[in-house]
Amino acid sequence: MSSEFRYVGQPVKRFDVDKVYGGALFASDIELPGMLWIKLVSAPYSHARIKRIDCSEALKIPGVVAVFTGEDFPYKVGIYAADRDVLARGKVLYYGHPIAAVVAESLDIAEKAAETIDAEFEPLPAVLSIEEALSPRAPVIHERLGEYRRASFINPVPGTNIANRVKLRKGDAQKAMEDVDVVVEETYRSDPQSHAYMETWAGAATIRSDGTVEVWSSHQSPFAVRNLLAMSLGLPVSKIVVHHLYTGGGFGGKAGLLLEHIPVLISMKLGGRPVFLQLNREENFYYMAQKPGFLFKMKTGATKDGKLVFHIGEYYLDAGAYADYTVNVIRSSTFMATGPYEIPHIHVDGYAVYTNKVPTTAFRGFGILELTASFEQQMDILAEKLGIDPIEFRLKNALKPGVSITPTQEVLAEDAGDPAGVIRRAAELIGYHIPPQRSEEPWKVRGKGIAAAWKGPVQPPNAASSAIVKLNEDGSVDVLVGTGEFGQGTIIALAQIVAEELGIPVEKVRISPYRSTDLVPYTWQTVGSRGLYSDGQALIRALQDLKDQIKEVAARAFNVFKDEVEIRDGKACVVGKHSECIPLERLALGYTFPSGETIHGPIIGRGSHVPSGTTYLDPETGKGNPKPFVTFVAGGVEVEVDLVTMQVRVLKAVLVTDARIINPGLAEGQAYGGILMGIGLALKEAIGFDEIGALRNPSFLEYRLPRVEDMPVEMIFESLNVPQRNAPYGAKGIGELTALPWQAAIANAIYRAIGVRVKEYPITPERLLKAVKEQRPDILTELRKIMVGV
Amino acid sequence: MSLILRTTLPDFDYLLPSSLDELLALKAKYGERAAVIAGGTVLLNLIRLGFRYDYVIDIKGVRELSAIEYREGKGLVIGAAVTLRDLENNEVVRDKYRVLWDAVRQIGDFHLRNRATIGGNICNPTLQADTIAPLAVLGASIEISSMRGSRRVAIWELVKEGGGLLLDPDEILTRIYIPEPPKGSRGAYFKVWWIAGIAALAANIDNPRERIVRIAYSFAPSPKLVEGVERIFRQEKPLKVLIGDAINYIKTIVTPPSDARASREYREHLVEFGTAYLLRKLLGVEV
Repeated sequence: MSSEFRYVGQPVKRFDVDKVYGGALFASDIELPGMLWIKLVSAPYSHARIKRIDCSEALKIPGVVAVFTGEDFPYKVGIYAADRDVLARGKVLYYGHPIAAVVAESLDIAEKAAETIDAEFEPLPAVLSIEEALSPRAPVIHERLGEYRRASFINPVPGTNIANRVKLRKGDAQKAMEDVDVVVEETYRSDPQSHAYMETWAGAATIRSDGTVEVWSSHQSPFAVRNLLAMSLGLPVSKIVVHHLYTGGGFGGKAGLLLEHIPVLISMKLGGRPVFLQLNREENFYYMAQKPGFLFKMKTGATKDGKLVFHIGEYYLDAGAYADYTVNVIRSSTFMATGPYEIPHIHVDGYAVYTNKVPTTAFRGFGILELTASFEQQMDILAEKLGIDPIEFRLKNALKPGVSITPTQEVLAEDAGDPAGVIRRAAELIGYHIPPQRSEEPWKVRGKGIAAAWKGPVQPPNAASSAIVKLNEDGSVDVLVGTGEFGQGTIIALAQIVAEELGIPVEKVRISPYRSTDLVPYTWQTVGSRGLYSDGQALIRALQDLKDQIKEVAARAFNVFKDEVEIRDGKACVVGKHSECIPLERLALGYTFPSGETIHGPIIGRGSHVPSGTTYLDPETGKGNPKPFVTFVAGGVEVEVDLVTMQVRVLKAVLVTDARIINPGLAEGQAYGGILMGIGLALKEAIGFDEIGALRNPSFLEYRLPRVEDMPVEMIFESLNVPQRNAPYGAKGIGELTALPWQAAIANAIYRAIGVRVKEYPITPERLLKAVKEQRPDILTELRKIMVGV
Repeated sequence: MSLILRTTLPDFDYLLPSSLDELLALKAKYGERAAVIAGGTVLLNLIRLGFRYDYVIDIKGVRELSAIEYREGKGLVIGAAVTLRDLENNEVVRDKYRVLWDAVRQIGDFHLRNRATIGGNICNPTLQADTIAPLAVLGASIEISSMRGSRRVAIWELVKEGGGLLLDPDEILTRIYIPEPPKGSRGAYFKVWWIAGIAALAANIDNPRERIVRIAYSFAPSPKLVEGVERIFRQEKPLKVLIGDAINYIKTIVTPPSDARASREYREHLVEFGTAYLLRKLLGVEV
């Protein structure tokens, strides 16, 4: 589509380069006059009753202003399930649970004072795994679960550790079990993992003299912070202003309200004094929510001609001590149930389960990572059992737009995309049916694997967006949108749309990365790859409004009808007459006739968008339409397993999506980032816990992120550019999509290389060795013969 | 009891002596109350996360501890404060002391190697001191100094069984002495993160009676030089067979630890196949 448009579809360069030279402002840079520092003190127990917190020594230290504990802040915080205490009250629920906040003139003083706080605990039995949490004898972590404020579609089971239970029912899976030839029953697991965004969380708050709460923090969605502060603390939205600055990465980990309520409540207690909380990396591992671990049980059946017939699943997420976002993440896994395939009979129960571990939240992919990591291994196992090629098996069962019935019993929209196309193309690009080249070193064995996924934003039906476009007197425009910029580049894509619509150079479009909720129009959240789609549509409406006004003014200037005016190359012209044009700058503040008479005044366009056709889902069956759109993706890899170290190296990765792309350069960047993140999740990253539930690796010293040498030698990204109806230029966001296929694709490739299947992520050398010993001990015998000679 | 994860460092006095005498006098005076800092890549983290010292004595002010000296026929003397990057860039180290060079270049990244020092690496074996095993196969010794005088001990004697250092509270690691390596020797280091490191050195490969093969393991916290490997390789058998014999022998001697980073089982796999890989590479044995 590059030929049709001047800016849309072009690799326009990022303009937020101030990050590179250090000029970008982050929440950590905030310094307010008279600002005090907060230091959190936490508990070294996974589950314990708080017997005593003695702050008297801390309060004697010069420079200490106050110390607060849980009882000072009797609020419950959260979005879908308000299960979080501000500071622990009564008992602590995980190792590292904050119990007190010291406020002092400097961080140094606050930290010294924090070390004098003396707390006493009475340890309680702790629940450290999903299985333990579900045992009927398990201690109940949230005794008052039934009383928590929650979204209408969240169903906790009071008296248990189940934070949310989700049901999906399509057809009759039990009965269909009789009609299949092959059944595969497997369990897939993962450790909790970390978003590992570059910027650790920081937030400052102050209360203005008129009572307005003002907040600066590191977050994805300024309006979600405002809304949740209001809801959780009982404040009117009109009394809250949230400032969004550059945010150094989020990946879902900065969706919703983070710890903003802590500085806000402390500032309120201290007469509005500005206070600041900045987490270091270790604290960020303990105090910020992480990606949940999972346990997905799957039983899937097919007929011998390769048709999928039924799928029964029990999907569990280890939500940790607070399940806030995770209760919704499990909905996403459950309702997307079976990946991009049609299965007539589905029965899935999804659970978010409390444990005495670090709290969890959303993560890039929102439940679809877990689903894909599991279901796409299930597909390969089934294909093998059926004796059918895995690609052919996938194509045979791929969803068909306009025809197939989704797990939530809707006909898949005609413009949903091209599920079969992405699978076919990814297989082609990776050369799935061409055996990999042999390594010169016989202990290195190569294999190719593939995985596919579908994903759409998980949002309430009323998730709205809006935009304002102001025409400036030099013909440039300022665009106001509410979406957050944390590296994904949506604002660059939005600027390209503006440039295209007005025919002006993209350099004349300004979208500030900085915004405040009182100055920019509303958007629900910046999550789920929805920014470009939702804010983009609001923006296009704002541009239509702006152009309409321009035409109206120009028509009067030319003395023609409005529909005789067109806008091209930054000018308003009479249709078909090249000589009769007025540059936009002469219309920005209205048009002034030679006589001096001026009409209209400044031109400002405004637009809103709310998705149509999405609904709440039936609580018993999941029937309904949960998503305004879906996107399909497939990834292929070639891996090399080093049998000496049991390390797996991804040599090549190919990624194919069907989404139409506004900026191929940015999309490619997203793809490379998604690939590397996926490799980390597949092979390296795990949050470890010791026997009492303390984090083993709360820093980048021992939390193993992928490094540049883990990057595949060759990476290919392609888009099939299938236009989506009711989307800006038919485009959809791909931020999450790019991270989805890798865990399963790599696991499948390892299997095809050495015949060993690892169903637990990450596939560390340790786990791979164990699996080799269990499944293919002959490999080691053979290796020993070659290398050791015995 | 509570958990505090500090951002700032607690108070300590920072001391920067400019001569060795001054340095040793300070260490004699403050003993265990003083930590020695060179690059600080380990110490500052430890202090931030809970280790407490009243004094931090910086050895970078003592010029001679940052020197690398090579004398033909005598060998190499490396000051404790020499950075890993300086070693990596040193041609003598690269050409003659290959096993050390190969280990150093696999530690961290450029930024870290610009600061981290060989003395610091040796003195922090709990994080897997990657330089100890290469120094062991090179037959290096270290100079430990105090006001009471200096003593030289073999590198593999520095770390006591279980992880403590041989240093008394008034002593400081000052220099590393590496003799001239065997003529025509080769060396290589095999590393898997902080899980295992294997150093091997070989010379006179074609002449069994003078053949030298040495292997050492950098397991935290107690690195190990395997004695007796050389005897195996002095036998008149095909190298391929000797490698097998050596590995079977090593498997009876080396008992790797199990810890949060890896199980003993996985480390045993690395001992067996990592050693085989390294020896084949070093001795030029085709698979």
